[in-house]
Amino acid sequence: MILEFAWRNIWRNRRRTAIILTAVVIGVWSMIFLGALMRGIADQMVRNGIATLTGHIQVHQKGFQADPSIENRIREPGGIRRVLEETLPAKSLWTARVRVPAVAANARHSAGITLVGIDPPVEKDLSFIGQAVRSGRYLEREDPRGILVGEALLHQFETRIGHRLVLMSQDTAGEIASRSFTIVGVYRGEMESTEKAYAFVTREAAREMLKMDGAVSEFAVLLPEEEEAGPVAAGIRNGLSPDSYEVLTWREMLPLVSAVLALYDQFIFLWYVVVFIAMGFGLVNTVLMAVYERMREFGLLKALGMRPLRIVGDVLLEAFFILGIGVLAGNVLGILSTLALKTRGIDLSAFAAGSEFAGLGRVIYPTLELRDILLANGVVFVLGLVVSLYPALRAARFTPVEALART
Amino acid sequence: MTLLIAWRNLWRNPRRSVLTMTAIAFASTLLIFMLSWQFGSYETMINASVKIQTGHLQIQAPKYNEDRDMRRVVEKPEEIGKRVSTLPGVAALTFRANGFVLASSRDRTYGAFVVGIEPEREAALSTLKDITRQGSYLAGEDDGQALLGELLAANLQVGLGDELTVIGQGRDGSVAATVLVVKGLYRSGQDEFDRSAIHIPLSTFQDVFSMRGSVHEVVILGDALSRVPEVKKKTREALRETGRDDLVVLDWRELLPGLVQAIQMDLVSGFIFYVILVVVVAFSILNTFLMAILERTREFGVLLAIGMKPERLVRLVLAESAVLTCFGIAAGILFGVLLTGYFQEHGIFIPGSTEILRQFGLPERIYPRLSGLSVTLGPVLVFLITLLTALYPAGRVKRLRAVDAMAAP
Amino acid sequence: MRTEKGMLKCGVAAALLVLPALLLCAAAVRSEGESASEIVHRAFNYMRGKTSVATVEMTIHRPGWERSMTIRGWTRGEKDSIFWITEPPKDRGNGTLKRGTEMWMYNPKINRVIKVPPSMMSQSWMGSDFSNNDLARADSIIRDYDHFLEETRVEEGMKVYAIRSVPRPGAPVVWGMERLLIREDGIFLKEVFYDQDGEPVKILTTDRIESVGEKLFPVLWTMARADRTDEYTVVRYDRIRFDVDIPEGFFTLSNLRTPRGE
Repeated sequence: MILEFAWRNIWRNRRRTAIILTAVVIGVWSMIFLGALMRGIADQMVRNGIATLTGHIQVHQKGFQADPSIENRIREPGGIRRVLEETLPAKSLWTARVRVPAVAANARHSAGITLVGIDPPVEKDLSFIGQAVRSGRYLEREDPRGILVGEALLHQFETRIGHRLVLMSQDTAGEIASRSFTIVGVYRGEMESTEKAYAFVTREAAREMLKMDGAVSEFAVLLPEEEEAGPVAAGIRNGLSPDSYEVLTWREMLPLVSAVLALYDQFIFLWYVVVFIAMGFGLVNTVLMAVYERMREFGLLKALGMRPLRIVGDVLLEAFFILGIGVLAGNVLGILSTLALKTRGIDLSAFAAGSEFAGLGRVIYPTLELRDILLANGVVFVLGLVVSLYPALRAARFTPVEALART
Repeated sequence: MTLLIAWRNLWRNPRRSVLTMTAIAFASTLLIFMLSWQFGSYETMINASVKIQTGHLQIQAPKYNEDRDMRRVVEKPEEIGKRVSTLPGVAALTFRANGFVLASSRDRTYGAFVVGIEPEREAALSTLKDITRQGSYLAGEDDGQALLGELLAANLQVGLGDELTVIGQGRDGSVAATVLVVKGLYRSGQDEFDRSAIHIPLSTFQDVFSMRGSVHEVVILGDALSRVPEVKKKTREALRETGRDDLVVLDWRELLPGLVQAIQMDLVSGFIFYVILVVVVAFSILNTFLMAILERTREFGVLLAIGMKPERLVRLVLAESAVLTCFGIAAGILFGVLLTGYFQEHGIFIPGSTEILRQFGLPERIYPRLSGLSVTLGPVLVFLITLLTALYPAGRVKRLRAVDAMAAP
Repeated sequence: MRTEKGMLKCGVAAALLVLPALLLCAAAVRSEGESASEIVHRAFNYMRGKTSVATVEMTIHRPGWERSMTIRGWTRGEKDSIFWITEPPKDRGNGTLKRGTEMWMYNPKINRVIKVPPSMMSQSWMGSDFSNNDLARADSIIRDYDHFLEETRVEEGMKVYAIRSVPRPGAPVVWGMERLLIREDGIFLKEVFYDQDGEPVKILTTDRIESVGEKLFPVLWTMARADRTDEYTVVRYDRIRFDVDIPEGFFTLSNLRTPRGE
């Protein structure tokens, strides 16, 4: 009976209700959209980190993470290959790389870099380098002398495609290995520091140069979307001897990213509160105005014997219904608009001034997560009801005399 | 004349007017605060990076920043130091020298870079002292002692009190070699750094690397990020005056180009968030206005009925809106500045983030930053929004028919 | 072509004299019939000798200052060498050992022998205009390059060969090209190092060719940057003896720790 009363009250003044509803709907829509956007940014950050060679999971010789030198290479990779084949979920991608510190030199310059020996066709789908080559060409499996360098390195060395770079590093015998490579392609990375740090050659070329025989430096795994890195890594760890090998997830390899990610939950909550405040004061005012407008009505009800508490309850219930409808509509709007953008994403480089970003593909894909949606709904409902308390209490205090006096 | 009537009208129903003004004031305050927060967080990020690595400004020999050639030095740095530290806007100043060496412990050898620092001055300028987790920080007279990154120490298998030898090339090309004793270990949270850095007293560095009293960098920390361009200019002038204009002055943008990129990216997404916020705010204000107008339908009906021309009514409504808006914005700016100002002094503390931030040597509070832009952009947008939103109800007013209006509940 | 001419001359001479002429003939044919590659090889071996012991004074010139060192060095073939700094006292006892392409450094102050890693190979040796690589891969010129004779001229009565040396494909050499000036008796007059765009980067010139023991040898060597006249390194041989007997265990790490000053 009270419910029906409250419900009917809402629809008695459609315009008033519509106005309040709009505020709620817009508020909820923006929260959901904003939340999805922030998740999208966080995801993009993680994706970038993973794409820059980290992958979801890496397997190394024990001690490689602390000291990524040739002494800590995986001498017998066969066992790891088997374990990976057995434990990885379908559609995972994995590869074995050579990664050593080296010095690149030409006639006028020399600098320390990280030399990465890759399996070009597999690496293409696994890390950023597959899409990052901007001039020249990508590596092929049969490319004994080809090398890919970053654009920043190309400038630093004052060289160009077709010129040679001499790479020096320490081989497995502890002696200095040097080999000449020809620049076949130039890539652009997320940051200049990436471009200056990494140079790519084929795995075979690296092995030959460093006298590595069948050894590799690391295995990198890219999991399909749905899989969580933690459990898969645990599975791999079970199959390998902990004294010889270390299995790391991207969270362990990218502590800064993990830290920022943890903060994101807080950020999203804070933003929700901010949006609610933005919406909230409008809500309070309109509800308050509505309540005052109905002063006569409430005064009459009181005169007819309705208890103040029930009036408070009625106003709150009306608020609840309005919030409910608004939230529902807002959710629908929010989810739809997010999904619409999800496939194409928002291309930030279109907004960013400065040519450095053009072509870097800084795209954000808004990502819906249930917990964010639930949180948004929760915030709106709880705060909405709290905020309606004041007008409700006011409504209950209208005396019949006041009400009738003011028309 | 219209304004006078408008003014009086507003106060006939103080509750409604106050409510509307409050809505506008709130909107302005919120926008001011959020934008100040945004800028403040960038400033916090910049100041943090600057404190960890480069300082706000550096005086170097030309081209040193590009090739880090040992021979590109700043001679007689004390003269420069004395002159520049007295400049207004300079909070701290110190000297640094850098060199690449092979560091060896009993069994292992690794490439590392050595930084010669002035311990007391360095502590005022960078986070090195704060991130020294084991052992103790350097003191000025600690000749031959060193601070190592934890990872480097682990790789070399040395601990506190152990010896390590370093050998590299001095400024004049002679062999620079010495034995160091590990006094403390630090962890910056960045593996690259912890794996390859060694800090020693500047005097030791200058001696071992035959620097003849010179250094590579004069590092300057400013009072505030906003004062940096001014300090840069004054520093340049000071150098010119003392005849040292062969040296260059670089600011943090040139020293940390990666940071600038990162902030630019962030600004764009921040912009999108701000736009969404403005949209929500706009609707709130629209609602408030609509409600206010709706409430007075009867009143308008009566006015029209007694002969007031619709255009006049519209003008009146608009005038009322304008007055409300101006007061609202004024209040909003005042309150916004006060609120933001308070937090600018005391900082905002995000619960749950302290542990992580401390790990990286970052400050635990964010300080919003008031600026000309943050104080005006929000209120200006609110002003425009209120003008636009006031037009819609005013438009409705125009189309009111007296009879219908008076019959409104 | 040249062979034919030589033969012609030969024929005429032979008509007049017999044995001495034949000998002269043979000599003429040898230098004229040599390929660029052979010239370079011959010169290289001449300059190195089988072994050598030398005392040099190296002076590094930079804008505004100058630094000198006295160095005592032993070499065997192109593979092994060892040297110690004897002056100034600050650097005394510092030694460098080269075996094959590997290099080690010894410093008496820290009393350690450290192997030179790849990261230091491109750096200058003792701050001079010679890099560690220059010293370690001194034989690179005969191993990694193909040589082409560009021109033969005559200076001060001696033939001088201008040779262009191009790195073999795959050779780990940073230079795009080198140009050599070699005298017919095997003395290197000039070596110019070019980058891959054909621009000169460094120039090595020799001077003051004097009689040292039984052979002629340039006593002054200058390595300078091509684009600056105020940065160069001069090496002056105070004493050099070739084909000295050097004991077996001389080029070893343990020996590196015991500097010889004599």
